[in-house]
Amino acid sequence: MHSKGRNTVVGFLFLLPAILTFGLFIGEPLIHALILSFTEYNVITPAKLIGWDNFKQFLNDDRLGLIYWNTFKFLIILVPMHMIAGLLLALGVSRILSNKWKYFYRTIFYFPVLVTTASVAIAWQFMFDFDFGVLNYLLGLMGINPVEWLTSPSWVYVSVAIFSLWKFVGNSFLFYLIGIQNIPKTLYEAAEIDGASSFQRLFKITLPLLTPTIFFVLITTMIGAIQIFDEPYLITNGGPLDASRTISLYIYELAFQNHTMGYASTVALSLFVIILIITIIQFKMSNRWVHYEQD
Amino acid sequence: MSKIGDFEIKNSTSKPVVSPGSFNSRMKKINLVTHGGLMLFALYLALPFMWIISTSLRLPKDSFSLPPTFWPTDFIVGNYLDVFLQVPFTAFILNSIKIAAIVVLGHIIISSMAAYAFSRIDFPGRNVVFIIFLAGLMIPGQVTIIPQFILLSKLNLVDTHASLILPALINPIGIFLIRQMMLTIPKTFDEAAFIDGANRFWVYYRVILPMAMPAIVVTSVMHFIATWNDFFRPLIFLNTYEKMTLPIGMTVLKGVFGTGNLSAILAGVTISLIPPLLIYILGQKYLVEGITMGGLKQ
Repeated sequence: MHSKGRNTVVGFLFLLPAILTFGLFIGEPLIHALILSFTEYNVITPAKLIGWDNFKQFLNDDRLGLIYWNTFKFLIILVPMHMIAGLLLALGVSRILSNKWKYFYRTIFYFPVLVTTASVAIAWQFMFDFDFGVLNYLLGLMGINPVEWLTSPSWVYVSVAIFSLWKFVGNSFLFYLIGIQNIPKTLYEAAEIDGASSFQRLFKITLPLLTPTIFFVLITTMIGAIQIFDEPYLITNGGPLDASRTISLYIYELAFQNHTMGYASTVALSLFVIILIITIIQFKMSNRWVHYEQD
Repeated sequence: MSKIGDFEIKNSTSKPVVSPGSFNSRMKKINLVTHGGLMLFALYLALPFMWIISTSLRLPKDSFSLPPTFWPTDFIVGNYLDVFLQVPFTAFILNSIKIAAIVVLGHIIISSMAAYAFSRIDFPGRNVVFIIFLAGLMIPGQVTIIPQFILLSKLNLVDTHASLILPALINPIGIFLIRQMMLTIPKTFDEAAFIDGANRFWVYYRVILPMAMPAIVVTSVMHFIATWNDFFRPLIFLNTYEKMTLPIGMTVLKGVFGTGNLSAILAGVTISLIPPLLIYILGQKYLVEGITMGGLKQ
């Protein structure tokens, strides 16, 4: 009914808006960023080719080591935290038998994900305040000395983690909960007839069948954590000094405050390469532990 | 968790009849522990909201003073007026709504058309384009934002809403999600329409698009929230107060009231909670369905 040539024309016509916007705002920028990384460019004067200078600067950048280390610290704090807390909450809610309570918990746990990050981060910043913040007040009631939530180089990580858990745990929670609900009930019934304990059911049925979801949550939270910007920008502004400055904050500073677009592109590309490597490793290793259902 | 357990628990909680048996009492205990843990966590999530709302209703001079309250003791609505009178807060909200609405509409048109081609038209090069789109997901925004800024400043679009709208129109996730849904619609629907003399576009618009509605709704809700919450792009692209969106406007609000009136800031925060709440109430059912359907299976 439809000839091959006509299909090609119609197919590409349907794809045209997507190809145009993709090309203009994702494809071209990637190539452009590659070119920019070999130039010096401040938006006002024309770009100047400078060979490998940006890459040399990249290797000799004194701040970069600390900044990548900070980003890594956020990664190893936030990823396991969200993965485990989200899973525990989902396992808990899936045990609740009353639908009303299920709905109640699901609503409360997911709601913070939807609210404007900037708004609630500003509110949390006041809650973290050393002198008049809610947190230190509550600690005081328990006889605990006030904590420098925003001014101590190590406590800022705890502060961002507390905020991040509060704001985003609903994401992994909801994915896990839906994953658990999609596990066929017949498996549990069969296990119960065979006399499996709830512990066995968790480790022999729930978790193995949940591995595709766990894998998905792992990939997305890792990629999110490595690009973390809003939380440190709004709560600590990278401080004190560079103590919580992440690679995204640094790229923002280089490109849009110092207007060194060339070097900023070099640093941004290093982030792209790292994300690429992590994603490839994760997918390669996933064969070993992720079980997809055979339909 | 099984049907049997379900029945027994319902029985034992709804009727005070004591049914002896270690299984039942053990399940009850587990349920209590689970409820306790979940409730504690719910408290951690809820208390900041309650603090925000009750503090937003305090007198400005008391706004920083301790002890904090988690239940409104005062009802000073003046803070809410200050938010609108001293900062162009109405403009922030309207800008956010306008941008999110245009972005979502454009995104849905572009994504659903592409998804239709990817799922229902067979032509050479289709899979290559699809793989390129998916690969685009791995490119972080920090890489593309710099050339985007250069491009948009050459077009004189910096500090306009177009600079936020245009790049947000494309997101391969939306194409992927809608394509997954369209793949489940039997081809017989298309064929029946073709026999009736319909063309491709009519089939897309009148047959396939309505059937893919759950995926469209979930993509819309997710993209709306992402656009509504976006902080990074408006921070870079907008300078004029009147053009700002709500997230970036919040930092303006903080700048204006930060040292004197915490209550006004928190009144602004409270107002900003309302649109996501409405979206959540409207879209929750679809959101859950959509994630289920989004294909976490391979």
